[in-house]
This record gives sequence, C-alpha cells and structure tokens, in this order.
Amino acid sequence: MLTIQVNGVAQTVDAPEDKPLLWVLRENLKLTGSKYGCGQALCGACTVHIDGQPTRSCVLPVGAIGNKAVRTVEDIRNEHIGSLVQNAWRELNVPQCGYCQSGQIMAATALLKSNSAPSDQDIDRAMSGNICRCGTYPRIRKAIHKIASEQL
Amino acid sequence: MKKHSGFNRRDFIKVSVMASGGLLVACGGSSSGGTTANSNIAPSDNTPASPSEEYQLSEFMRIGTDNRITVLVGAAEIGQGALTAIPMIVAEELDADWSLVSAELSPVATRFNNPYFQNLLQFTVASSAIRGYFDTQRSVGATIRQMFLSAAAERWEVSASSLRTEASYVIDDIGGRSASYGELASAAAEQNVPANPALKDPASYRIIGTSRERTDASAKTDGSFKYGMDVDIPGMLTALIARPPRFNGQALNIDDNAALAVSGVRGVHRIPGGVAVVADDFWSAEKGRKALQVSWNELLAGRTDSAKQRAEYSFKLNLPGVPIRSDGSTLLAQTLSSETLSADYYFPFMAHAAMEPLNVVVDYDGSSAEIWTGTQSASLDKIFAGVVLGLLPNQINFHMMPSGGGFGRRGNPLADFVRDACFVAKSLQQPVKVIWTREDDMKGGYYRPAASVRVSASLNKANKITAWTHRAVTQDVTASLYAENALDALHDMKLPPLAELTDFETGMPYKIDNVSMDVHLTVLPNMPALWMRSVNKFSDVYAQETFIDELALRVAQNPYAFRRSLLSEKPRHRAVLDAVAQAANWGQSASGVSQGIAVMGHWNSFVAQVVEVSVSANRELTIHRVVSAVDCGTAINPDLVIAQVESAVIFALSSVLFGEIILDDGVVQQSNFDDYPVLRMHQTPSIETVIVNSGNTVGGVGEIGVPCVGPALANAIFGAIGERIRELPLSNSNFILA
Repeated sequence: MLTIQVNGVAQTVDAPEDKPLLWVLRENLKLTGSKYGCGQALCGACTVHIDGQPTRSCVLPVGAIGNKAVRTVEDIRNEHIGSLVQNAWRELNVPQCGYCQSGQIMAATALLKSNSAPSDQDIDRAMSGNICRCGTYPRIRKAIHKIASEQL
Repeated sequence: MKKHSGFNRRDFIKVSVMASGGLLVACGGSSSGGTTANSNIAPSDNTPASPSEEYQLSEFMRIGTDNRITVLVGAAEIGQGALTAIPMIVAEELDADWSLVSAELSPVATRFNNPYFQNLLQFTVASSAIRGYFDTQRSVGATIRQMFLSAAAERWEVSASSLRTEASYVIDDIGGRSASYGELASAAAEQNVPANPALKDPASYRIIGTSRERTDASAKTDGSFKYGMDVDIPGMLTALIARPPRFNGQALNIDDNAALAVSGVRGVHRIPGGVAVVADDFWSAEKGRKALQVSWNELLAGRTDSAKQRAEYSFKLNLPGVPIRSDGSTLLAQTLSSETLSADYYFPFMAHAAMEPLNVVVDYDGSSAEIWTGTQSASLDKIFAGVVLGLLPNQINFHMMPSGGGFGRRGNPLADFVRDACFVAKSLQQPVKVIWTREDDMKGGYYRPAASVRVSASLNKANKITAWTHRAVTQDVTASLYAENALDALHDMKLPPLAELTDFETGMPYKIDNVSMDVHLTVLPNMPALWMRSVNKFSDVYAQETFIDELALRVAQNPYAFRRSLLSEKPRHRAVLDAVAQAANWGQSASGVSQGIAVMGHWNSFVAQVVEVSVSANRELTIHRVVSAVDCGTAINPDLVIAQVESAVIFALSSVLFGEIILDDGVVQQSNFDDYPVLRMHQTPSIETVIVNSGNTVGGVGEIGVPCVGPALANAIFGAIGERIRELPLSNSNFILA
C-alpha cells in the first residue's frame, strides 16, 4: 500500500512501487483523463504536474513520488491559469480527436504559470514534447498567445 | 460530450416513429443489437437494457421537455467533428436553438448506416461523413420540424401554414403566442410523419455555414471525454497480445511459466493471432508478456522486404497494367511528339500512428457480449465479433466509442483488432480490455502500402503537352477482404463497392487530349495494408503535381500560370488555384524563400496549396508557411473545415518528411515515436487556410488537405536548390528539418 497526494487528496493505493504513475491514476484511481500514448515519455499524452512541474507519468514509478503533489487534468480547472487554458481551448476549437489534449493542457498551463508572455520560441521549447497527430499545434500556439496577451 | 444530469428516459419523447416513416433507408432492424443510448458514457453509468427496451430505442434524436435536444450520430467521431457538424445539419432544418443541442454516437443499427455506402454499413472512411449523411439528416430535421408545427396547429386550432418556427419555438404571429419544442414534444410524437417535408433554401441557413464551438470541446479539455481506452467495467482484466515477429506467423511452443509467475498475471491464452497475457492491470500484463517465451512457426509467414519489393515495383513500371483511364491515343501522340519526358517515384509503407493505440473491451459470458471500441467500421466489426463469438447480432451490444484518431486504421473491413479481442474474450469468458502498446500499434501492420509511380508527358514542337501517362504499382488494400474465408459468413450481405476506395488518381485535371492511366495491384495476403488518409491520392498526386511543375519549367512557364492555362475547363480547380496564389502572394516571396504550388480535386472538393521553404547549404529545410485554398462546396462549420485542413497539412508533412515503415525480411523495423517521428510543435510552419465558398454540394474535407502538400513542398525545394525529389520521405534524401 502506498499513499500519494493526488489533486489535493491523500490516496492510498494497492500497487507495486514500480507501477508507473499513469496506470495508478488510470486504473487504481479511475482518473482516466491522463492518457497512454507511447509508454516511453516520447509523446506527452500522459503529462501531469508533480509539484507544479509537467512530468511524464508513463515512466514515473509511483513509488518515487513520495509526498509530492500530483495534479491531473481533472483538477486543473482549480488553478486560475488552468481554467484559462481550458476556456481558450474551447473557444478556439483546439481539440480534434482530443486524445493528446490533456497532456497539451497540462504542458501549456505549466508554461503560462512560469512565463506570462511566452515567445514562439518559448512555446516551441515547452510544447514540442507533446505530439498531436491531428495537428492542432497552430491552434495551441494561438491559444497560448491569446491567454498571455488578453488575460495575464 | 455533455452528460445529461437531471434527465431520465421518461423526459424524452421517442421519435422512433421516424424509422417507419420511410425517410431513411428501410431498415430490417435485424442487425440491430441496440444499445443503451448513452454509448459514450462510462458503462457504470448505464443501466443494462432489457431486450425489449433495446428495440424501443430506435431514435435519431431525443427532445427533452426542457427543450434540450440530443442528436444521435451514426458516423464515427475520429476528431473530424462528426459530433458537431452532423447535429448542425439536423438543427438547421429543425430550426433548433443550437445552444441546447448536444450529440452522442448512435447505437450500431441499420438506421444509422452511412447513405454513402448504400446504407449498408456504418463506415466512416473516404471523407464520407458529411457527404453521406447530409441529405438524410436534413430530412430528419425538416420532418420533425413539420411535426412540431402540426402539434402546435392542433393545440391552437389554427392552420399549420400560419405558424413559423425559430430557435426551438413554434410561433403564432397572428395569435401572439408561442410554444417551445419541449412543451410540444409529446404531442409532436403523435403526429403523422410527413412524406416530403420542404427543405430550406440554403440562402436562409442560420446554422449551416457558421463557425461553432465543437459539441465535444468541453469534455475534451477536462479529461472527462471517454475513449475506448477509458472504458472500465466491473471485474475487467487487461490483456496484451504477444504477436509473431512476421505477419501471420503462428505460435509453436509457449513457455508461460515465467509469465504466470508475475504478480497480477491471471492466465495465458493462445489465440489465432498470437498469445494473450491476461492480468489484473496493464503493468502486470506488460511484465507478463516480457516474461513469456514463445517460439513461432514462420513457414507461411510474411517475408515482405522493403528493398526487394521496391525493386519488383520498379520492374513492374515497365509492364502495362490494368487501364483505369484512357483518353484519345497516347501511343500515337507519343510517336508524333517531339519529345517525351518521364519520371519514376517511390513511396514507402507508412503507419497511421493515431494517438490512441488500438484497444477493445469485450464482456462475453458465453451467450451474449457487450463490446466497446473506437472504430470507423462499427457494422463490420460487429459482424466479425459475431462470427468469432458464435453470436447473433441481437446478442451483441456494440458501443462505437469515439476514437483518439483513426486516419483509416480504425476502418479495417477485416476488423483485425476486434477479432483478436473477441478470441481473447471467448477463451477467457470474463470482461477484458485488450490494449495495444504503441509498439504493437506501430508494428501491427495495415499500413499505407508502398507504391511506385511512373509519369510521362509528350510535348509537340509548339511545347504543348499532347500525351500524359501515369502508371501506379501498389498493393490492393481491399483484395484480402474479398478473399478472406471469414467472409463466407457474410454471404447474405451485400458489400458496398469497397474497391473504389482504393482511390487511384484518375481525375488528372489538365487539358491534355491523350491520357492513359493504368495500375498494377499486387495481392499480398501476408502483408496487411490499408487505406491511410487520402489513400493512393497521396502518391499519385505527388507524382502528378511535381511532374507538371517539371513540364512548366521545361517550357519556361511559371508553374502557377502553366497550371492555370491547362485548367481552362476546370473552373473549380482554377478558382482554388487563383485563390491560393492570391492568398500566398505567389511570386512575391521574401528573398531566400522559395514557393511551390499544387492543385487537385477529390470527393467533390478542390484544393490548391502553396508551400514556402528555405534550404540551407547543409540541406536544412525551414518550412515557413503553408497556404491552402479549399472549395468543399458547402462548409457546414467553416472553422472545423479550416481545422481539418490544418490537420491534413501537418499530417502530410509528417508523412513527407519522415514517414517510413521498413520491413527487413518480413520484420517491421520501427517501434515508437523515436524511430517513427512525426511533426512536433517546433517544426510546424505557419498555416493559413482560405475557404472558397462555391455553394456547391457538400464535398469531403478530412483528406483533401493531404496530397498537395508533398508536391508543393518538393516544387519549392526544386525552386531553392534545383533538385527533384522523386522518393519519400525527404529524410532519405538527406534533408533535415531546421
């Protein structure tokens, strides 16, 4: 049994320490917003925040988390910037199939929290780890700029 | 998708009466297993429907007494926006308040079949969702609107013709009263179904042609949207399948001792496609599969080798193929010409690599089954599930889940991933989710087939093109469907003409008197191939549109002006060509930036694209901008049309720059996004898209933006460094992306 802090709640889970956080979230805690895409930290669909840092949960053993705070897309609306990101994503029709968008939203929220006026290069650096096969990148870029220029 | 909190089924009237109204295709209902209505809501939210209830759910929409409308959509949602655009069509003719309309994927049932496929299947390929459903969905909306008018006329004892509708209300201007659709819902359901309801004049559309937020946008930003991968049912186990290194290999000896020793592993099951490791969760199943020892019988397995196949295809380019277009006499014209030029092209296998790896949940108890999967081909999936499980259609409740991308891979008429999962479930007789890892998905076949193309053109002394030939060598992605023994089970069912979906280019639009096009279609049962977004247009149009550029320069003409002069009888091609030239400032690019252009028409839509590129001395490409002009006849939701074109441009760039699956003596060499790279944010150019509104019939949008990107880019690269690129991907020509 392990106890981890997820979305502000201490959760005790019956999982081996080497089980990746992604599968603990999805299977043990039924938080299926974080997605499995590659299992190798190559695509970013599994991105969550660990103490505010965007992290690939598919390769992170749950036993390595300790007392650090895990935040997932299901809770990101409770952060001001997270809710701005979600709203901009809707307004600009960013999602297509939507499967990668949880990860994109977590990465974009982390970027805007640390940088309220990101340049295109900043966006490239922060977002290029997140693959989208539907090709929503132009709208993601536009949404990030829109939030930065209008709301931050 | 929105949840219907605060609703229960009693709040809804059933408009199943529609099914008997003859408006949609006659449906025997025999293949309808029915489903609970909320097919996308987590199963735990569903109450199991009794068989008698299932058939009562014959409905195209539900209208709540609070005026909320839920439209059931028969097309798959693969990201293209079917759950938004199709309800917009219904809402338009219904005169609905769009803000109160939501959408759900329909049950798998004949009444939801795609009219494009002769109403035989729910099948979402060939850019056919809007093209297929447009007319029938308009009729559904108009019919129900008429029933609301009749209900109000009866209530107020006036003539229906004195009433009008607006935003989900029936309004009596003379009597100064109004009633909402919700108030009238139960009375409307009792009205006669009108036979030929009048449809709107497109000039009076209020919803069609306007950009609206996607109905699924909200759920796709907060993690609540459910894909097949997210389905969770009580007692569900997780299975991974160990598959042979070569296609159609068979497990010979299985040593499962180490696998069964892994904590959480419940069992190891041999199925026709491999060996399934079943466990409590994904992690245990993955560890179990790693520990599993299988030796494979590969005597009859596939030995496709990319290099050898390429040599064979190159040889076949010299032999006449099966004619698919023949205008005039190319032989005579070639003889009389002053010069004939020719070029050969090669395109490798490519993987769809949708973000959501394949997965299927099956709950089979020996006498009935419930199945959940993201698919583009629900009807055939369900039929094959029945064949594998030995069940009748009405014993299977099949949930078509939204997909995390499809691009054709989830539209496999052979239902490979559904059959595999059903074999596991049949052996297990316990609820199971079969998950494909990314590596399974990448190595799992059903790729865009490799292709070779030869194009030639003959010029006379006046530098006019007098003859054009086009020969393609590739693999028939539909042949195996007709050959499969399993299809014996379908002998009563008429299949739509899937062969046309092989989708060879025959529409070469230029005014050339003598044209001959032919193909060699190889049948390779041990090399699974399938359509991938834009199918053979991807390779055929690449060859055509780079070669026409060569000819333009050969006769010292501007590639845009040259195309334009050859399109004098193709006004829609010409309109998009002119529109893109204007939008991209053709001929006015900045210093050091080279432009390339291409044009095509397909599925009743037309596109022209301009790519702007710089190439450094060390072959580093900087793609600055891709400009597209698209005429899709009528754009239902222009913002989603633009989104599809953006999507297609990025999808095409991934294919053109990096896309290559290599087979070495039958073994796929790629495995994940490290060795099969796709375009990322920092590599994405500026993308601009203009819609040319021709007001014509609805055309396809999902694929149209793909094929011209490659040739426009190649033409721009030629402009920069004078080098023709006749094989893909560009990474094989030592180009790198800045």
